[in-house]
Amino acid sequence: MKLTRSAAAFGAAAILAGAAAGCGSGSGSSSGGSAAVPSKLVVWRMGASVPSQVTWMNGVVAEFHKKFPQYKNTKVTVDWIPWTNRVTDWTNALSSGKGGPDITELGNTDTPGIAAQGGLADVTTDVKAWSYGSGIIAGNLANDTVNGQNYAVPWFGGVRGVWYRKDEFAKAGITSAPTTWAELISDAKLLQKKFPGTYGLGAPSDYTNAIVSFIWGAGGQVATESGGKWTAKLTTPQAEAGIKFYADLYLTQHLSPSKYVGETELGAPGATSGGSNEDFALGKLDMYIDGPWAESELTAVSKKYEADWASFPIPSESGPNPAPAFSGGSDLGVWAKSKYKQADWDLISVMDSPSNATTFANSQGFFPEFTAQLKGGAYAGNPVMAGFAKAAAYTQISPLNSKNWATADATDAIIPTMMKALMQGANFSATVAKANTQLQNVLNTGNENG
Amino acid sequence: MVETVTSQPSARAPSTARPPGRRAGRPARAMALIRRHRLAPYLLLLPSVAAIGLVLLWPVVQVALYSFQNYGLPQTDGAAPTQWVGLSNFTATFSDPEFWLALRITTAFAAATVTLTLLTGTLIGLLLNQLGRVMAAVVSTAALLAWATPPVSASVLFYWLFNPDGGLVDWSLARMPHWLVGSTDWAGFNWTTSGALPAYTVATLLVVWQAFPFVAVAVLAGLKTVPGELLEAARVDGANAWRGFWKITYPLLKPIFLVLLLFSVIWDFNVFTQTYLLTGDLGNRDEYNLSLYLYDKAFTFPPSYGLGGALALILTIILLIVTVGYVRASVRQGALA
Repeated sequence: MKLTRSAAAFGAAAILAGAAAGCGSGSGSSSGGSAAVPSKLVVWRMGASVPSQVTWMNGVVAEFHKKFPQYKNTKVTVDWIPWTNRVTDWTNALSSGKGGPDITELGNTDTPGIAAQGGLADVTTDVKAWSYGSGIIAGNLANDTVNGQNYAVPWFGGVRGVWYRKDEFAKAGITSAPTTWAELISDAKLLQKKFPGTYGLGAPSDYTNAIVSFIWGAGGQVATESGGKWTAKLTTPQAEAGIKFYADLYLTQHLSPSKYVGETELGAPGATSGGSNEDFALGKLDMYIDGPWAESELTAVSKKYEADWASFPIPSESGPNPAPAFSGGSDLGVWAKSKYKQADWDLISVMDSPSNATTFANSQGFFPEFTAQLKGGAYAGNPVMAGFAKAAAYTQISPLNSKNWATADATDAIIPTMMKALMQGANFSATVAKANTQLQNVLNTGNENG
Repeated sequence: MVETVTSQPSARAPSTARPPGRRAGRPARAMALIRRHRLAPYLLLLPSVAAIGLVLLWPVVQVALYSFQNYGLPQTDGAAPTQWVGLSNFTATFSDPEFWLALRITTAFAAATVTLTLLTGTLIGLLLNQLGRVMAAVVSTAALLAWATPPVSASVLFYWLFNPDGGLVDWSLARMPHWLVGSTDWAGFNWTTSGALPAYTVATLLVVWQAFPFVAVAVLAGLKTVPGELLEAARVDGANAWRGFWKITYPLLKPIFLVLLLFSVIWDFNVFTQTYLLTGDLGNRDEYNLSLYLYDKAFTFPPSYGLGGALALILTIILLIVTVGYVRASVRQGALA
């Protein structure tokens, strides 16, 4: 074993050399048989297989065979990729030219980056010709566009809000959900006092997608683009107010436990237990920030308080409208190295038809990507979904959809590293200024040191 | 080889070396050639040199080449041209404050683990030498179990021991009086993600726990070779155990200690598995050592094999300096002996 460790350096060298081997082997030509009939299509889905999703996919495949008789003998295989492995798996499939999917699900913040690395096929003409194409929420389709070309279609979406418990609110005498930061703090303090041994509001430091809501909720911006050049805005007074508010949830208000410093909302990065979601489900945390999709994770931990779970939008600094929520979600894209691009698109058109996409989104706690489906108050009667549906009316995605955002956030972890340092008591303005410089560098050049 | 070099005068010319009556064939001429140029040792080395060249030297050359290129994902399949970028991978590395932080962490971590590993290992080795047969078997079995535990299993074990959600260490510390353990909220103290110092405290314990048995066994093997009469004579002359160790045992075992020191430095400089798992994949950038930093640069999105190559080269050079120091020390020692 000791020898194994000493060999680690050589192993890394061998891996680096292995990448070179991939260079010569080349990849299947895509121009040739795009109209060919495949014997099998591989779909990469993110997350873990759930029975309801398997049933849904079986229905989609049956519809696909019926609607496109030429593919009646085509098998559809779904590979489940854990979210944390997705970029590695795409990267490996791209660099080796082998083992890639035909169709892949992508987090909507991944799409511009993966498209820029040559992973996705251009589907502009397919989307234009698609009868449902015009019904997609315009801003979300724009997110999948790089240099005017379309590289994926939105599949489902979701926003984060604050999960709370109706029974705790009632016992503490809180009659309406907080709509300002001051109310959020006082309610959290009240709950923490009323229920000893609990914390009021979880604030994990590695949680960019929630932190941005506080920056936006104070009227700030993370970064803005003008003429193709990004300017980071973390050092504006508004953005700093949001950053400070979030850090202070732990630092001065003591509403969040110290163990969340360095963690995501799901626990230590890469771990799948011990996070704020688990503590909320167990009743150790009064309020926590996450999306409606967390419900299946929460019930897997404990169903004890399930009947009392409800949500409200993340408040803005001074109300009454909520803070803009990061508009997350998943896209479907055709893999650039797939040999059957026409068949790929045909399957996507069935998976993402308004009726299939809506059934899917509803079963998983997401919202469909079609404007028509979001209207009409279909979600008002559901206490968990009602708050998130409200939040879904105030969303923002820029700059989280910029080409280099995956580098800025997933790789360089600029905002999480800044927030962790702040929560550990680092000098506020120096730390934010440093993150601001790095962010601007990455967004413009892909490299934090410019 | 049936014919040994010593059986025949090797300097003789092939024609005269040929024994009379034997047929002058090509194999015989080849054998003679080999003998004349003393090629046999090199031929025997050839297979292993070829194997090492293929699996080790060529990749090293390849990595060195990458380190001067912009080699990344688009370059692997020719989507973008590979360009020579001179020293820019190296200047980018040296101008990155995270590199220097990782280097500081790596050095401090290696210093702590090497010291503790050698100290613990030597003490356990000395203990094993003193123990009776039964107790020695018990102690060495316990130590070897720690050694035999796969790094991933051991990391998971320590992760759970130090977990803020009911880990044994946090649980115990929370039950100790404040005057002893300070007023930190130990019950929810997150060792592995709340900064480099607590994270590497756990990593140090873990690595030392896994590494000391090797040192102990090596020291024990050395101790068995120390002639008993030397220590006995020292005792008769009035030396206590401390003096006996430094005046007799240590000088005799010095070559072993030098090897152990070198190995430990190389191993502890390159720790990856344990730190990767303990600090939460690559999520906490303020807790990177050089291995994590290298992995992050080379393989996370967007991968830069050029930067990775430059870092691999830097890491290799640092460790080569250590190795050269070792070789010099052992040569000097050989000259003195």
